Amino acid sequence: MQSPVKIWRNQKKIQSLIGITGKIISWTIVRVPPGGFGDQAPYPVAVIALKNGEKITAQVVDFDEKHLIFGQEVVTVVRRVTQPNTEGIIPYGIKVKPL
Amino acid sequence: MNIYVTGAATTKFGELWGVSPRTLARQAAFGALKDASVEAERVEALFVGNMLSGMLGGQEHLGAFFAEELGLSIPAFKIEGACASGGLAVHNAAFSVLSGQYETVLVLGIEKMTDHKPEDVATALMGAGSEEERSAGATFPGLYALLARVYMKEYGTTQEQLAAVAVKNHYHASLNPNAQFCNPITVEQVMKSSKIADPLKLLDCSPISDGAAAIVISKKKKGNSVQIMASAVATDTLGLAQRKSMTELKATQEAAKKAYEQAKISPRDVHLAEVHDCFTIAEILAMEDLGFYKKGSAAGAVGKKNHLVINPSGGLKGCGHPVGATGVKQIAELVEQLRGNAGARQVKGAKIGLAQNVGGSGATAVVHILCKVR
Amino acid sequence: MIGIVSYSTYIPHGRIRIADIARAWKKDPAEVQAGLGVIEKSVPAADEDAVTIALESAKSALSAVEGLSPESIEVLFVGSESHPYAVNPTSTIVGELLGIGNNYLAADLEFACKAGTAGMIAIAGLIAAGQAKYGMAVGSDTAQSKPHDVLEYTSAAAGAAYILGRERIIARLLADTSYSSDTPDFWRRDGIRYPSHAGRFTGEPAYFAHVMGAAKRLFDITKTEPSDFDYCVFHMPNGKFPRQVAVRLGFTKEQLAPSLIVDDIGNPYSASSMTGLAAVLDIAKPGEKIFMVSYGSGAGSDGFIFETTGSLKKQQTVRQQIEKKTYIDYVQYLKQTHKI
Repeated sequence: MQSPVKIWRNQKKIQSLIGITGKIISWTIVRVPPGGFGDQAPYPVAVIALKNGEKITAQVVDFDEKHLIFGQEVVTVVRRVTQPNTEGIIPYGIKVKPL
Repeated sequence: MNIYVTGAATTKFGELWGVSPRTLARQAAFGALKDASVEAERVEALFVGNMLSGMLGGQEHLGAFFAEELGLSIPAFKIEGACASGGLAVHNAAFSVLSGQYETVLVLGIEKMTDHKPEDVATALMGAGSEEERSAGATFPGLYALLARVYMKEYGTTQEQLAAVAVKNHYHASLNPNAQFCNPITVEQVMKSSKIADPLKLLDCSPISDGAAAIVISKKKKGNSVQIMASAVATDTLGLAQRKSMTELKATQEAAKKAYEQAKISPRDVHLAEVHDCFTIAEILAMEDLGFYKKGSAAGAVGKKNHLVINPSGGLKGCGHPVGATGVKQIAELVEQLRGNAGARQVKGAKIGLAQNVGGSGATAVVHILCKVR
Repeated sequence: MIGIVSYSTYIPHGRIRIADIARAWKKDPAEVQAGLGVIEKSVPAADEDAVTIALESAKSALSAVEGLSPESIEVLFVGSESHPYAVNPTSTIVGELLGIGNNYLAADLEFACKAGTAGMIAIAGLIAAGQAKYGMAVGSDTAQSKPHDVLEYTSAAAGAAYILGRERIIARLLADTSYSSDTPDFWRRDGIRYPSHAGRFTGEPAYFAHVMGAAKRLFDITKTEPSDFDYCVFHMPNGKFPRQVAVRLGFTKEQLAPSLIVDDIGNPYSASSMTGLAAVLDIAKPGEKIFMVSYGSGAGSDGFIFETTGSLKKQQTVRQQIEKKTYIDYVQYLKQTHKI
């Protein structure tokens, strides 16, 4: 289970990254997922150059095949990150979806 | 630098179900001491390179753990830098001797990975990346796949060209009795292997392995000692997204530059190199970042006849990649090659060898240059 | 005068055809569609929940009005029957990620499908009492239903957020009322995954009694009748009930039509009537009157009369989100709703 304190400390960071547009600069499709991501695989993970100058690594959601291209415009959204276990705090984090 | 590798030993790498970390350590360490004709009592410090003992096995404090196992009551350290743990242990050991602090030290690189489920290992390995990468559900193949995709677009490299790296390294491994894999493979087999993280497939990826390697570093040289000409380390951002470029590993370039300066040689002078092919794309990047090939041209040179042989041991792909052991095994391989003892996989006329060990997706790079003692 | 300052909705883009669900259970698709009056419903992505959906609607509602900073929101109530936690408020997770700050009243509401509208009435009251200048009521659900149960054909997902205040009003709240009773038509015990229901009991004594009860009260206290209104909105548990109650109350097909989001996305529970209202506001002109009655099992109905003002701008919110859809099959539906 992720530490609730750590989740709490990261809130401001997540909040500051919501609703920012950017472009895909690379992507892969993870087919053999790490622990906690089993229910989401396969899924694309991309490196995105955001309008605010930052670059982030994030999962791509709500996409069609045709969106996985260099330069695809995306926007950051908040989604559940890992499958929470039955008792733990639910981690929310930043993912991106094509515009 | 007047420091020498006076002894080296590597265990078999592979899925060693019945072999414990203690047994691996004894095999490698006592093997290296015997090879160096050095008694255990002469060793003044122990440097252990390892990444996952805590996360997977619940055991930290490996300095004390292995010092006790080897019967040595000496200063002992665990050094961790993800997959560069072994190289970093060598680097620290080398400078501890160069500084005059110790005369003779032992470096042990060791990893036991197959006691755990692949998903658990994959998750633990992501400890080498950033929190953001873990939250995104990235895996190590995924991170290198992100690099591969940009590199392939930029330079027109194909998946088949990447596959050729795996084919070459399997061939070399088939000549290495300690390697995990003894079977040569074909490009077709690589292309047909299951997708792990597009565009990387199963046979583009180094395996999960157990193994250990050890070397003795000393101020005093002996008959078949090999000289350490350079030992350099550089770091870059932890996360891939924050790097300046997605088609090179700056840490490798910086460490290599420092190493060539220390050794007073240029890339052209190197006869063989053990590079960090955790994934096929990594070897391509290393070939260029180490200054052996111009940017974008490495893929075309794979498998061609060359004065420079890369990964004669089989690399990480063919020989196996017990994470903490790799950096030390690379040095052990160079030692055997420079002594002329590498048997079927001997690189002819090997006088100068280079080892490149990378941590994570390029956050740490360690470069060593060794030469035959003149 | 108190009223709606801004509103927005969020509808996940996944859709499943009722016919595909029926076929999975070897039922006649035509029969099911005709019986329930539904064709397809919205399905949340595997990583969406009532929190993320509430956040999307809330963020959009804030962006839809100029110059209203998140910190101006002094009350935030989120109503849902799929709050991810039994204890730990959805509203503060949403409030934190919206950047509201700390100076606000937050609470989670539950009252089956009318938790969101209960929030609207409560917030209107706080504003009237001078306790807050602006408040936001959200209805958000990723409705759960047992596979093979009749609810599987209608339980959907969406979120709707309404900012209420005294200034920059786009629709005045002319009147509101509420009609409540203890009527166990549909319920879910603590710790139990899927809701249960009492079959046909959910009709006349539940939905119709309460919707009509609140509606009649609304007509009484405002001395109005159906022809005084341009639009009507009712809670939409299926395609038949809202149409039947509209007829019984004396409304026309034309008054009801713009609100019938159930025809496109099924029943998103706490967001149902609130999304229906949004669909009406999207196309309404200034100076038009809207009659709305929600329904929540257990049971109760909240009634509202709104009148649009000159500040109302035409929006495309709901129609755009309805049209942005990707069809999935039954297996994918089971995966996305965490049943397999």
